[in-house]
Amino acid sequence: MTSVTVSNKEITSKQLGIMLLALIGLGIAGGIAISNLMAEGHAAYNTNNLGLFWGFPIVIYDYFLLTSTGLAMVASMALIFGGEEYRPIIRRSLWLALAGLLGGVAVLMLELGHPLRALWAIPFSFAFSSPLYWKVMAVSFYVLSLLILQVRMMKPDWRMQDLRINAMVTLALALGVTAIAGVVYGSQSFRPFWASGDIPVAFIFESLLGGLAFIIFFTYLAYAFNAAAVPASVKRLFNDRLSTLLALAIFIHLLFVLARMSSGLYGNVEGLQVWQHIAASPLFFAEILIGLLLPLVLLMYPGTRIRPWAQILASLLVMNALLISRYEYIIGGQLVPLFKGSWAPELLSYAPSPTEWLLLLVAIFLSNAVNALGEVTLRLGREG
Amino acid sequence: MAKWGMVIDLDTCTGCQACTTACAMENNRLPGENWQDVLFYHEGTYPNVKLMWFPRPCMHCENPSCVSVCPTKATYKDPDGGFVLMDYNKCIGCKYCQVACPYGVRFYVDEKAVVQPDIRGVFPSEAGRQWDPPYKGPQDDPSRGIGIQPHGVVSKCTFCYHKVSKAPKGVADLDEDIPELKEYVPACVRVCAPKARFFGDLDQPNSNVNKMIADKRGVRLKDETGNKPQVYYLSGGATASVPSLRSMSDSDKA
Repeated sequence: MTSVTVSNKEITSKQLGIMLLALIGLGIAGGIAISNLMAEGHAAYNTNNLGLFWGFPIVIYDYFLLTSTGLAMVASMALIFGGEEYRPIIRRSLWLALAGLLGGVAVLMLELGHPLRALWAIPFSFAFSSPLYWKVMAVSFYVLSLLILQVRMMKPDWRMQDLRINAMVTLALALGVTAIAGVVYGSQSFRPFWASGDIPVAFIFESLLGGLAFIIFFTYLAYAFNAAAVPASVKRLFNDRLSTLLALAIFIHLLFVLARMSSGLYGNVEGLQVWQHIAASPLFFAEILIGLLLPLVLLMYPGTRIRPWAQILASLLVMNALLISRYEYIIGGQLVPLFKGSWAPELLSYAPSPTEWLLLLVAIFLSNAVNALGEVTLRLGREG
Repeated sequence: MAKWGMVIDLDTCTGCQACTTACAMENNRLPGENWQDVLFYHEGTYPNVKLMWFPRPCMHCENPSCVSVCPTKATYKDPDGGFVLMDYNKCIGCKYCQVACPYGVRFYVDEKAVVQPDIRGVFPSEAGRQWDPPYKGPQDDPSRGIGIQPHGVVSKCTFCYHKVSKAPKGVADLDEDIPELKEYVPACVRVCAPKARFFGDLDQPNSNVNKMIADKRGVRLKDETGNKPQVYYLSGGATASVPSLRSMSDSDKA
């Protein structure tokens, strides 16, 4: 008991250090990004009217949103279907889901033309035909559900069976938000790169993969990557279940990506030629080989699967691969001119501006600061 | 209820861009924010190269995807006339309508200016609008996207709503050759020197636009999207034609 208390104190001081670093980073990145936006407005972004309407900020927002829903799926499924062995990760997953969502929404707010107006104009519009309306409404209820779950688990002696209904609602909302996010793109029938009935399903698996990678990485981060400090129950869970689940999720995500790529490269439907561009890019190779296949090998090989360094590395690589995947999907879908193709370049060009890169840092630092705050104040590690 | 539509005869259009200029002047558009554009391109390879052009306003679709995706109902289908309009007071600048428009006719001009120098710096606005040129159209109706837009909203062609909506009720065609009607004719139609553009009520079977669509087999651009444009193109194939491909073929790249 004494050693745990000492360990908690150490962890708290390390988390305070992480929070301080994240706040400093947030101040610098956010300060520069906001001053750029104040000076240049939306011109600080590299989007344009030629066809690149949704740029890197939307990629960042969707990445963090889907990671959040993935974390919520992991936590709520653990509550519903899992057992006590999942207990050490549930509260941390839920808090991380909130922290990640906050980072993503902050970036979205900096991208919208009228962010404050959006707060009332969307809910009161009753625009039932719009996937974005449903997305916003679902996200609102999703946040509420996450908060209720988190509050109910503040009691040290919370019981899993008492929270199952709440977890089912959270799971349904997390699945709903993710599927609707897929519909936003998948329903664009005249953008063959985006349009597909399997996109909402692919998004759900992608989210789940992100959730698993994030919870493994941030659990280790909570112990400052000191594997010796990680409780035995957490190690056992990671070695037995989560590593296998992560490998399985990587495999399923790979299948979706490779299936889309193969039909994209083989098919001659107008709009799919962007796959030739994507499949030839170093970024795509990095995503597939380093971001997905290497972690898959690390997690499938029994000798490395149980190594903390392998779990941390695999999670980190997957987190990066998912960002690349999201970038390629959202930007790639806009690279083929819809209508001006005969007289515009065959493919449009886009690269994030420095301000857009700063927004990625804003999301990372904000999420980390909020997460570290949760680690300190809510003692998320007490379950271990 | 009228359902206003436009017919563009590609056999007559000379690509002079008077329509583009008239639209920009009528609606105080920024350089590069061409609500009405004429898009130039070439087809074929030397020595069999053809210079082509294609006039393209907003299609004011019957079933517009931009309207169905808008999360705030800022873009809407006007029930009386069939216009697709913007309410600047409701737009949040999410640009989903731009993403969802198959025709590329919506603009979000808060980005870097397409044409340099940025004229907004020459005529800055103190009223939160994009710019304040020396001459501004007398019509200003933000709820219908008429007038210079504020920052952070999407803009688009209104079919010159401020003119057309004042036309006498029951008129089948708005023709600039009829003196009592010419004030109600959209700017791009009114100035068309070779008279390649026609504007009328698609709901009136005897309107000239309906007859032309029937007689010359009018087609709609990218009809496969299901948006059902209210702009029809007439093309005999002698000059400009409705482009069918969205990407260049290898032979066109040379």
